[in-house]
Amino acid sequence: MSKENIIAETSGLTIGYISHGRESRVMKDISVRAHKGELVALIGRNGSGKSTLLRTLVALQPLLEGTVWLRGRDMASISSTERPRIVSFTSTEPVAARNFRVREMVALGRFPYTNWIGALAEDDNNAIEEALKVTGMQNLAGRRTDSISDGERQRALIARSLAQDTGLLVMDEPTAFLDLPGRYSIVSLLRKLTREKEKCVIYSTHDLDTAINEADRIWLMTPDGISEGAPEDLMLSGTLAKAFESPLLAFSQTTGTFSFKRQKQTGISVEGTGIARKLTERALHRAGYRTEQDALPRVIINDGKNGTEWLLIKDSSSERYNSLYELINHLPCDDLT
Amino acid sequence: MNRSSLRPAVPLVMTGFLFLSVLLFFADLFIGSTHLDAGDIIRSLFGHGTTQGGIIVMQFRLPKAVTAVIAGAAMSVSGLLMQTLFRNPLAGPDVLGVSSGAGLGVALTVLTFTPLFRFTSVSPMHDWGLILAAWAGAGAVMLVIMAVSARMRDIMTVLITGILLASAISAIVSLLQYFSNEAMLKTYVIWTMGNLGNISWPQIRSLAAAVAAGLAISFAMVKPLNALLMGETFSLTVGVRLKPVRVTLLAAASILAGSVTAFCGPLAFIGVAVPHIARLVFNTSDHRTLMPGAALCGAIILLLSDLISTLPGGGHIIPVNTVTSLIGIPVVLMIVLGNTGLGRRF
Repeated sequence: MSKENIIAETSGLTIGYISHGRESRVMKDISVRAHKGELVALIGRNGSGKSTLLRTLVALQPLLEGTVWLRGRDMASISSTERPRIVSFTSTEPVAARNFRVREMVALGRFPYTNWIGALAEDDNNAIEEALKVTGMQNLAGRRTDSISDGERQRALIARSLAQDTGLLVMDEPTAFLDLPGRYSIVSLLRKLTREKEKCVIYSTHDLDTAINEADRIWLMTPDGISEGAPEDLMLSGTLAKAFESPLLAFSQTTGTFSFKRQKQTGISVEGTGIARKLTERALHRAGYRTEQDALPRVIINDGKNGTEWLLIKDSSSERYNSLYELINHLPCDDLT
Repeated sequence: MNRSSLRPAVPLVMTGFLFLSVLLFFADLFIGSTHLDAGDIIRSLFGHGTTQGGIIVMQFRLPKAVTAVIAGAAMSVSGLLMQTLFRNPLAGPDVLGVSSGAGLGVALTVLTFTPLFRFTSVSPMHDWGLILAAWAGAGAVMLVIMAVSARMRDIMTVLITGILLASAISAIVSLLQYFSNEAMLKTYVIWTMGNLGNISWPQIRSLAAAVAAGLAISFAMVKPLNALLMGETFSLTVGVRLKPVRVTLLAAASILAGSVTAFCGPLAFIGVAVPHIARLVFNTSDHRTLMPGAALCGAIILLLSDLISTLPGGGHIIPVNTVTSLIGIPVVLMIVLGNTGLGRRF
């Protein structure tokens, strides 16, 4: 990435709050950057200062030290009337109005461009239509914002941000309150904006899965400071694992997923093939067993008349089960506590 | 699909309501507690009526109808400004104690300076003294409410603060009453009942000037008001300068509510209820439509209240405050008990 493609950059930034004349610092010495056409995911534990950093980037919060550069210009030198044409911000702040239409909400994105009364010119209407189209909200444009789903409302907010026509879009937790398909759909929309519209999108999230799979760049906030890079860079260096691992949680460096750490003590052997074997092993792991060759008890997977059957062979006896649930509940469990 | 095709009904509804307000305005001239011949009323309007008709129409009914229009529009727009500014569906000049604040200003002038500024005096200096005192009182309460809303986001807390303020003010006023003479007291008590009919033409001119200024300032703020619907964070990030906007809105709301309260007394429930009626009628949150809409609805409802207040006939009238309460309270109840409850939406 060349120097002129840098949309946002911070150098030696200290973020935090000033209340009653006293500074409380959240994090020191933040130096990160984001480029044109890039999807940047800001991740970190609760209370690590994600919102504070994002709010500082859009001048909602004073920066205590250092500089924020927007398109190579010191943000302090950008006026409050010009800034809204460079960066837009979407927060989780609820909308007050009940009979507010999606289109009216998107139209508010044109605020920095309209006249004193907020009348929409042709340019404004074009930008609104385009924003509705890109976000797939055209059919819902006439709906009230309180009558659409959380995911649709999030799309409407993104459309509003898009209508503001800024090169940089900053979003605080756009996937909060959404279910898994909803989260993927929003993140893939954000990704589309970076690819098709060459926007730079910086968003904070708790959803590591989508961040690792979809983001071009990750800003990772840890108590020790902020790290940035491609998701795989942070996986390889072990930074991601270190940030999120706990006595209960293990991070797989290759897949980028987390799993509970289990005390796999009792050995068990499994005979069988295919998906049934994989899922059987998975269930056994959850129940606290370690799969190994020739161990007893042994589970034999058969394709019976009524679907898959599991034969559990213990020291002297054997038992037949029709579901994994039954099997797991009949395993000896005296040493699982 | 553009804005106009989205809501084709707005200009139509607006025209209909304008027509309705004109109709009610004339009804207010023709119907009163004293029966007058229709021909006499029309002739009186052009200065050719009987002596009795001329006095009743020109000195009583016409100023009262004009005051109803001005006061209804002013109180409703003031309520609308407060609801958006405080993000509170139950905000209104009377509910939050702003009318009481204006009343304190009035009480201080009427109960202490009456020998200098007699309430029935026609001197414009007296009128503007009264108006300024009401503005100051309303503005002071508004500042306290603003400070509380900034700290406590909870609607109930803000409402309770308003109630406490109103009680504190009424205690101060009681004290003033205790030390004032009988004539002053009577003037003040009559004022508290709310009256559209006790206003002279010169006073109407002062009231109209003040309200026109308040409405002009309010309408100049429609763009930031619309942004405020999306929240303060959003407003800041699209370039709204929140502090001057807040101060301007507070000033406009105080001017509107204060001026009306100075002359008509505390008009109950118009300010809090009418913006909701306008939202229902015009089906929008856009202040470009909502503000003229609320002004129109306010004028209509106050004209209607005035008509209802003359229903007993034979020279008897119900205090207009009673009628506006009976109209406004169900609307407020609807908001409190409605499916949105006391949520932050309106």
